[in-house]
Amino acid sequence: MTLTRRAALMGAAALALGTSALPVLAEGWPDQPLHVFVGFPAGSSPDLLARIITEPLAAKLGQPIVIENKPGAGGVIGVQQMLHAKAAGTAFGTTINGPMTTAPRLTPDLGYDVAKDIAPVALIATSPLVLAVAADSPAEDLAGFIALAKAEPEAVAYGSVGKGSGAHLTAELFSDRAGVEMLHVPYTSYAEVTTAIIGHEIDAGFMAPSAALQYVAAGKMRILGVTSVKPFPQTPEVPVMAGHAGLPADFRAELWNAFIAPAGTPPEVVSALNAEINVILADPAVQQKLIDMGWQAAGGTPETLATRITEDTAIWGAVLDRIDAKP
Amino acid sequence: MRHDLQDLAGGVILTLIGLAVAGYAVASYDLGSLRRMGPGFFPTALGVGLAGLGAVIALSAWGRGARTLTLAWKETLAVLTSIAVFAAGLERMGLVGVTFGAVLIATLAAPDRRIAWRLALALVITALSVLVFHFGLKMTAPLWPVGFGTGAQ
Amino acid sequence: MTGWEGFLHGLATVTQPGVLVYCVFGVVLGTFVGVLPGIGAMATISLLLPITYYLSPEAALIMLAGVYYGSQYGGAVASILLRLPGTPQSAVTTFDGYPLARQGRAGVALFTSMSASFLGSMFGIGVLVALSGVLSHAATAFGAADYAAMMILGLVAASTIGATAPAKGLAMVVLGLILGCIGTDVNSGTQRFTFGQTELSDGINLVALAMGLFGVSEVIGNIRTAERTGVPPKVRLRELLPRREDLARLPFPALRGATMGSFFGALPGTGSTISSFLSYAFERRVSRSPERFGTGAIEGIAAPEAANNAAAITAFVPTLTLGIPGDPIMALMLGALVIHGVQPGPMMLEARPEMFWGLVASFGIGNLLLLILNLPLIGIWVSMLRIPFRWLYPAILIFVCLGVYSVRASVFDIFAVAGIGLAGYALSLARFNPGLLLLGFVLGPLIETNLRRALLVSRGDPMVFLERPISAVFVLATAGLIALSLAGVLRRARQKT
Repeated sequence: MTLTRRAALMGAAALALGTSALPVLAEGWPDQPLHVFVGFPAGSSPDLLARIITEPLAAKLGQPIVIENKPGAGGVIGVQQMLHAKAAGTAFGTTINGPMTTAPRLTPDLGYDVAKDIAPVALIATSPLVLAVAADSPAEDLAGFIALAKAEPEAVAYGSVGKGSGAHLTAELFSDRAGVEMLHVPYTSYAEVTTAIIGHEIDAGFMAPSAALQYVAAGKMRILGVTSVKPFPQTPEVPVMAGHAGLPADFRAELWNAFIAPAGTPPEVVSALNAEINVILADPAVQQKLIDMGWQAAGGTPETLATRITEDTAIWGAVLDRIDAKP
Repeated sequence: MRHDLQDLAGGVILTLIGLAVAGYAVASYDLGSLRRMGPGFFPTALGVGLAGLGAVIALSAWGRGARTLTLAWKETLAVLTSIAVFAAGLERMGLVGVTFGAVLIATLAAPDRRIAWRLALALVITALSVLVFHFGLKMTAPLWPVGFGTGAQ
Repeated sequence: MTGWEGFLHGLATVTQPGVLVYCVFGVVLGTFVGVLPGIGAMATISLLLPITYYLSPEAALIMLAGVYYGSQYGGAVASILLRLPGTPQSAVTTFDGYPLARQGRAGVALFTSMSASFLGSMFGIGVLVALSGVLSHAATAFGAADYAAMMILGLVAASTIGATAPAKGLAMVVLGLILGCIGTDVNSGTQRFTFGQTELSDGINLVALAMGLFGVSEVIGNIRTAERTGVPPKVRLRELLPRREDLARLPFPALRGATMGSFFGALPGTGSTISSFLSYAFERRVSRSPERFGTGAIEGIAAPEAANNAAAITAFVPTLTLGIPGDPIMALMLGALVIHGVQPGPMMLEARPEMFWGLVASFGIGNLLLLILNLPLIGIWVSMLRIPFRWLYPAILIFVCLGVYSVRASVFDIFAVAGIGLAGYALSLARFNPGLLLLGFVLGPLIETNLRRALLVSRGDPMVFLERPISAVFVLATAGLIALSLAGVLRRARQKT
């Protein structure tokens, strides 16, 4: 078992070395080790994701990449530290959507302006959220769930991983579009939310697919819908929410993870990195690793990521307005 | 009449901290209701509680004899300066320089202030921390001042 | 598969040479980093994580777990000799271990802590094997109201620990609860008492708090006095070994501690912290001579050490079957599993029995190794006390700084150590118990969120605390404890007049 795993890793590394798409850069970049700031601790999902990308990336660039774990404030500290490093061309970062979209609204003293200070490099991966309920929940399907929630305000309690988290905002977006009013109960991790659902402390929760799938397999939870536009590869049988049970056809909520640089990074460095990351993401082995963790490889140009940031900032900004307007 | 000055001072300081916490929480955060406790509820209650306990401690210290107290102000100053210098310098001066300097500052408080053993100790501790943290644990903080060689930031 | 069959299968897994060697490596490394002030299991495991890519999942988990409980053995050494607890649960060990060491009986304190840790671990393994099926359901039976009630009982029981004035003990708990409020409020997202510092948005770093309160303040207070009292005389071998009356005081407190630890460890959250404080408070209450506690009582070391080691073992049940880690170190180990494509969850016991039972069996072997490794080392640890303090303390300071930095690579946290150290020195001058502050700090956020969550879920009905049977038991126990203390105060007051 150990042997085959090691062989697979080595094979992947060799493959990565062979297919470099790196254009020749005039000043010989990179001439020293790169630092990639991650706003989450070692071993966390964003950290593992960053390592999946930087390992082949380092092989292609011919320079080691040091992962700098600077956890805190939902990933904001990682971005702050990347900007603080001020060594253009060697300091980069990976980030989840929060620090790029909702943090300006939720974090006082953020210390950076996404539009001015961040140079988008590439979208790495996206993940939908799933709506999960206990296996013995009276809600048979999405329509049944909405009917249950409509019975009276706060008839249904849902869990999230904190105010302003993707799980909270998605649930509020859902409530708005479905015309229901649910009771929000914040927790600190998806594991706590699933335990509370199974223990019938709360009725439902939006969560990352990886948090729910084991419980579904164990017959303790059911999934009523997925928030992406297309069905999620790990759960092909679960219906998408958009256009179902009275939800509008453009209903969409996705978490994402992206590679970023400080503004002022030379444009040729950004485009070189973007090209490399797209090659890495095209590798079926990398895609499979991502899917195993509940992520779907994305890719695209820096502009794709920039558009994504603008769009999501608008969507979640509107949801935050709605939350703030509540008594 | 003699008083237990440590407890008296401790009680008064705790009361002041408690009042400050409660006052700040009331002024800045929403108290909420029993059903939906706001972020200010818990700190306010705790602040009031601490103020009360501080008062009890201070009152019971009144009229009670006390131990004599020796304040190690020189040691305090040396230790805290050493840590602060270490913190301020680590990511700029690098591990080697900052460890060496911090040890020299910390040993200012030692009863024996001759320079020879302090330099030797600084050398040993620097070597140890580079060995354990830089090579052993692969810590990412720079080894040398940033701008020379391959600093981290 | 029953527990015993599983355990035997597990033994077969661990005794494979390719796995056993990592178990040995883990516990030895754990002991080592536990003894060094500053670095603990946290930093070591996060830095070992990339290496585990190249191991089988079983070997990786067994090695990391070895570092984890190995560091608890080592951590007790630093608690006893230097009053430097690496973790909140070993803070309790300083209460009686450090006074014993100052009386020149460090060897006895170390012997007690190690044998109690071993007994506690074995007890925890026994509980795990006998009750594995039941344990995995215990956690889902606990709701927010039950947690809140349980932790309030823990705080009330522990605040009577302070040997001197109860008001001073209680004040420390409350101060700890206040410090625990710093950071982002989970329910509202409000940044409380952060004063514009993003670094504070996740609260004060626990390691910085523990190191500042205990380590730095101890260094400041000792620089002058340690030199004056001079080098302790060479201890003879006979004084390293416990006397007969010491041995007589060991087994029952250890057994009671282990029972308590096994129970609380099975609940997700901070099982091992609460169990070490609670078992200490309990021992003091049942003791015929409670006045010895805090001055070097053997029971005061045996009970909490057995409790936290038993809890560390049973805590793997909620961690692996629910994915709820009891502390950041457990969270790291979950990360290690995810690297290997093993998702912790309800299927863990059925889907990966070789991993689960291999781990349990490795606890047995690892703890045996630790005992064999550490007992002969006692003499060496004790001789560490003979190093002049002026050589030792600068090294302690540097290692504390680097250890705190290695938790999340934050310079802010090192500055925090300096500030907390100053406060800790002031507290020690005024004879306040910093351990209780630490307990309040750890449990505060859990009490607050669970209290608020319980009232939210019950739609504002406070009766929920009495309607839920588990919570009702804890509420009644708390009320009984308060009544007992009040009765004691009244009795003493009457005797005086």
